[in-house]
Amino acid sequence: MNRNLESGKRRCIIALAIPLMLCASASFSHGFDGPTKLLNKYCADCHGNGESEGGFELSKLFEQKSFDGTLAFENQITHKMPPSEADQPSERERLSMLNWIAKRQPPRVVNSYRRKSRSEYNHGINDLLNIDLNLIDTIPDDRGTNKFDSDRRILLTKEMLSAYFSAADTMLEYAFPSNGFYPLTTWRTNRIRESHPSYRIYNRPYEDGILFSWTRANNGNSYSFFYDGFAPPESGWYELTFDAKKVGDFNEDLTIQVHAGKYYYADDRTQPQRLLDVISVSKTDTKSYTVRGFLHPGESVSVHCFHEKTWRKQNPKTGVYIKQLKVRGPLRDWPPRSFQQVLNGVALVIPPRGKLDFSLEYESKIEKIGGSISVSSFQKGMEKENMLDGSKRTFWHTQFSPKLASPPHYVIIENPKLIEVLGLTYGTWSGGNGNGQIKAYEVHSSDDGKSWEKIKGNGQLEIMLDQEQPIIFSKPTKKRFIKFLITDSYSIDGRSLASIGKLDVILSESKEVNRTEIRVKNGTEQMLSRVIGRFAENAFSSELKEEELDSYRRTSLDAYEKDGDFLGALKLGLKTVICSHRFLFAPGKHKSLDYKIASDLARTIWLSVPDQQLLNLAKSGKVSQESVRDQIDRMLRDDKSKRMIHSFCGQWLNLRSFRKVSPSLKLYPLYDELLDHYLPKETESYVRYLINENLPVGHLIDSDFSFLNQRLARHYQIENVVGQEMRKVMIPKDSSRGGLLTMGSILKITTDGFHTSPILRGAWVSQNIAGNTLAPPPEEVKAIEVDTSGAKTPREQIELHKNIESCAGCHKSIDPYGFALESFDATGQDRKRYRNVLSHKGTFLYRPSGYFKFGGEVDTVGEIAGEKFDDVLGLKKLLLSNHKKLAYNFMKQFFEYTNGHEPTLAQRIVLYDRIPDTLENCGLRDLIKEVLIISFLGNK
Amino acid sequence: MIPEPNRRQLLKFGAALPLAINSLRTRAVESQKNRPQRIIFICNSLGFYRRNFVPTEQGELGSSRYLKHLKTQDKVTVFDKFYHPGMDTSNHDSEKSFLTGAPNPEATGFVNSISVDQLIAQKQGNQTRFPAIGMSIYDRGWGCSWNDRGSAIPPMHDEEKIFDMLFGDEDLRAKKQQISNDQKILESLRRDLKRLTTEQTAKDQYSHYESLIREMETQLEHETFWLNTKKPKVSKSLSEDREFEFSTKIHNLFELSKLALRTDSTRVITLSLDWIYGAIKVPGATGGWHTLSHHGGRGDALKDLSLIETDIIKHFNQFLVDLDQIKDGAGTLLDQTTVVMGSNFGDASNHTCKNLPIIVAGGGFKHRQFHALDRPNPLCNLWLELLHRNNIDLGKFGTSEKDFKLLGG
Repeated sequence: MNRNLESGKRRCIIALAIPLMLCASASFSHGFDGPTKLLNKYCADCHGNGESEGGFELSKLFEQKSFDGTLAFENQITHKMPPSEADQPSERERLSMLNWIAKRQPPRVVNSYRRKSRSEYNHGINDLLNIDLNLIDTIPDDRGTNKFDSDRRILLTKEMLSAYFSAADTMLEYAFPSNGFYPLTTWRTNRIRESHPSYRIYNRPYEDGILFSWTRANNGNSYSFFYDGFAPPESGWYELTFDAKKVGDFNEDLTIQVHAGKYYYADDRTQPQRLLDVISVSKTDTKSYTVRGFLHPGESVSVHCFHEKTWRKQNPKTGVYIKQLKVRGPLRDWPPRSFQQVLNGVALVIPPRGKLDFSLEYESKIEKIGGSISVSSFQKGMEKENMLDGSKRTFWHTQFSPKLASPPHYVIIENPKLIEVLGLTYGTWSGGNGNGQIKAYEVHSSDDGKSWEKIKGNGQLEIMLDQEQPIIFSKPTKKRFIKFLITDSYSIDGRSLASIGKLDVILSESKEVNRTEIRVKNGTEQMLSRVIGRFAENAFSSELKEEELDSYRRTSLDAYEKDGDFLGALKLGLKTVICSHRFLFAPGKHKSLDYKIASDLARTIWLSVPDQQLLNLAKSGKVSQESVRDQIDRMLRDDKSKRMIHSFCGQWLNLRSFRKVSPSLKLYPLYDELLDHYLPKETESYVRYLINENLPVGHLIDSDFSFLNQRLARHYQIENVVGQEMRKVMIPKDSSRGGLLTMGSILKITTDGFHTSPILRGAWVSQNIAGNTLAPPPEEVKAIEVDTSGAKTPREQIELHKNIESCAGCHKSIDPYGFALESFDATGQDRKRYRNVLSHKGTFLYRPSGYFKFGGEVDTVGEIAGEKFDDVLGLKKLLLSNHKKLAYNFMKQFFEYTNGHEPTLAQRIVLYDRIPDTLENCGLRDLIKEVLIISFLGNK
Repeated sequence: MIPEPNRRQLLKFGAALPLAINSLRTRAVESQKNRPQRIIFICNSLGFYRRNFVPTEQGELGSSRYLKHLKTQDKVTVFDKFYHPGMDTSNHDSEKSFLTGAPNPEATGFVNSISVDQLIAQKQGNQTRFPAIGMSIYDRGWGCSWNDRGSAIPPMHDEEKIFDMLFGDEDLRAKKQQISNDQKILESLRRDLKRLTTEQTAKDQYSHYESLIREMETQLEHETFWLNTKKPKVSKSLSEDREFEFSTKIHNLFELSKLALRTDSTRVITLSLDWIYGAIKVPGATGGWHTLSHHGGRGDALKDLSLIETDIIKHFNQFLVDLDQIKDGAGTLLDQTTVVMGSNFGDASNHTCKNLPIIVAGGGFKHRQFHALDRPNPLCNLWLELLHRNNIDLGKFGTSEKDFKLLGG
């Protein structure tokens, strides 16, 4: 291939004047020139004898010990240098020069060990306990300003260790709950909660349930409707089944976005909720669609129905009909897998799990226990009974007309059978302007209704919150009278008002639900020791001697001896194991190198600990290059490798920050939550497929397929993709899509959601995909933010760089990549012209046509290393022309992900050496294998 | 005069004491000198647009577009000409050095040093339930606080969790049990490490973990002590506004700081304010804070940027006003709290660390509104002075030259 000079200067004469000193130090013993002589021979023309092209002088490399030779090394190894029209060294000569630079490079101080990242910690314990909790976000982010979580410069701190301790508690408690398992409960509901007045018209009763149309709230957010009649009793996995169909004549699927969150009813803005999953409704007859979600107490399930072509329809005739929602949970295998795995071989007493079925009929608990209520005052039509009817649309209100009742306002509950009451549950009335909603209260109790004793003081309640708010007494009461005294309430005009939508008692749980406890039958100390020992061997990836285990067992055995609680004692032992230095640091202490390799592989590919098969292999001592290659294949096929794909893409491609960027709804009104959900999935599915199918590295740049669904296909204007499940889709010949660069995920994350900057995008592509080494910009550079509205084109603004020598050196390796991608906007859609924001009058009101006018035309031409291109297709071609550079970059990224530091220059020579000569043979799985083998096996 | 009882004394006298302390405290109030000194550092990491920030006249804040919003001007000093030496590259990471002064945070082998807030927390931390509290806008894992190993101390970012940590009910029995379990676990782990000390191969690893065990143990001991004192009760005054989420967040971080200081839950707070991703929305403007900070002098960008920066200053002002309305001894809480608001960037558009915007408020100093130094001073001079005022004498801190007693008083 023809690689031209970058600066256009002619260089063809080999330097004749080689300093004598250097000649003398060069080695001639191998029958060819020594490395320093070679460097002079091939580089001195531009970088010696006073020449310093690109700011680089050979003399610095030779004379200054502290000079960083990385850039010179990288340019050589990727064949950027010497430029193609200059004399080229033989590969042997090149290697000699590279080795020499690698050798002179001062060793970088890299910590000899690293901590487990929060993801590795979480996944590892999940696998050890056979549970499925995601606690990653409860532990602070741990990559700092570095690219990879594994970075060795990040040391474990007390604060992180503290977070690990408490995550360990949560996971162990989930695996072995101290007070047994909540019954498997079923809820059925076809009622939704009261919504904001302006949105009630977007659904209506239909057949046996509700017909929903899609609507975006006035601020552009998806507006969701919350289901009533289901509240998760504890954190856990729940199965949500919607009986639904599409109503109307649609060729494509309609979508139900299923969310979980708290609901503040008097608000039309974004509800704090998260997307659990998406249902693609394909049929016009009612079918059951099931998704699973992890829910917490205080959250409700809500639905947002979505159709790509309309955005609002009042009193709908078409849309998604949901007959009912059925919820089952908290889901646990029975017996739970944690017991099966950790207590394998220990005899257990496993009673059948309790079951509960919530009927739709409502009876208050106050009524159930034969109780009654009285109030300080009431407004006609808003009587006290409204608090007991289960609905928050009807409510009790203190008198305000004709006369305003003066405080104190209160409700007294009479409990004639003296049943133990743990607390109260309070619900605001769902409507109105918030008047009377209670902010603060006290609770008093009494035997006779006359002399009162305060049992809870200074309690606080949230206003506007739809969820019921529990009020737990510091100790249960069996008194005959309980007074709920309102000490502060919300009121728009300062009048003293109080209102309640629902008030009920909370009874001792044992009366309501029977938790099922699993016990150990005839537990012994030996059993406990054995269980902890086996767990520790798996966690540490080693065989352990008795004396090694002693510290991990002793606390547990002491506790067991003291109180005989086998599971409680077990949790102490297991926590000691997963909070220990042996679990938290890599490399750990292993019985043999084989165990260490097993541990390294599991941590990298599964973000976890070795499974039995890996441990068996290590135990047999048969770890070799060949057996490791087989293991890598097996491990990548396992679903656990999705964690690696997610983690690697999250870091290498920065998809982790994807959701932090919200595209402007003025410029990109059609962008929505569904796209935000699926765009990163496209990239992850695609990368996973490339690796599993061992496709050539060129697919990172271009390809004739991707992974799409109905929503993404519409975004990319690709036809005939129906349904929201992700699948492999062939890309039409006339489309510019294919490969990472043209994916919406990458195109969005390289912007701020408003404008695109050829510099930011360019720098990103140049470093992460093209694999260029760039020096950080110098201090006091005038940073340029491109303005697309003015008289000057982006190119005119940016090309100022060309005229400043200190900028041009790097920017010629940055800007052109960015310009090629100018034909894509901040959401990744094709564009020919820029969009410039128009102002709106008053408050922003969402409209599908947005608020923008078209600006100048985009200009995508560029030139890299003398090669000109017109657009992104040309750029792709150019990138594909040097497959070794692509492969080398991918390997370096994966190496850093794996090891927590960049490869040393010497390691880079080894990496480069493993790259096959032809693109077709450059399979991504093979490249990953080479990196892993170089990293973990060395010369073994 | 009855001195404030310190934690050690309390440990010695045991759990029966807390009741008595209150009366001791009440009497100690009389002496202003013995009032606890608090400090809060706020880093607005994308800086302030200099032309809108710096007053034109010495001793006069009204001439600054931003600072004219400050209502407590007689308790404010705004400095000009502080800088951080040793910032030679693009300084993207300069926030790391804001409170440490460590040069060249972008260098590959960069290792940070302990930050000034943490040094003060080491000294003051024993007096309160939380030795120090760090907060940020989102989960970023690092901010301005760094420990003596040069590792970032992750700030908290979830308002609900912070409020709960400060004021939420605790199941004391469960907490006690958990602490005692954890203490036993740490003992076991220490035993295991001891067994391994004969092995030389992973010495660094072991000694690192051993020091973590020690720090954890100290923390648990501290927590155990505070189990005997009930957490203060305050009403939850956090904003739930979801239209201006960014403003709400800033407001709430200040509100939490105020509550924490008012209840003497901590005496050292550090806030790291930044957002480098997509757009944020404040009254009057929507845009990428980071993008706008690279305004390049363009009018429309500056207009939006100044709306964002004004919004921050307004929240900051409210915080000062609130503190100044809370009586504390003979003065106000503001008089007892040194408030430092500033940035690692003097000019975020050009990524320079010269002419840093630095505001010092409260703390009972002799304030002088606008104070342009007569020559550029390393910011560490100010940090050194603050250390001295907290009775910490290190001789030198970061790139400090000397304590010039810039705060008077």
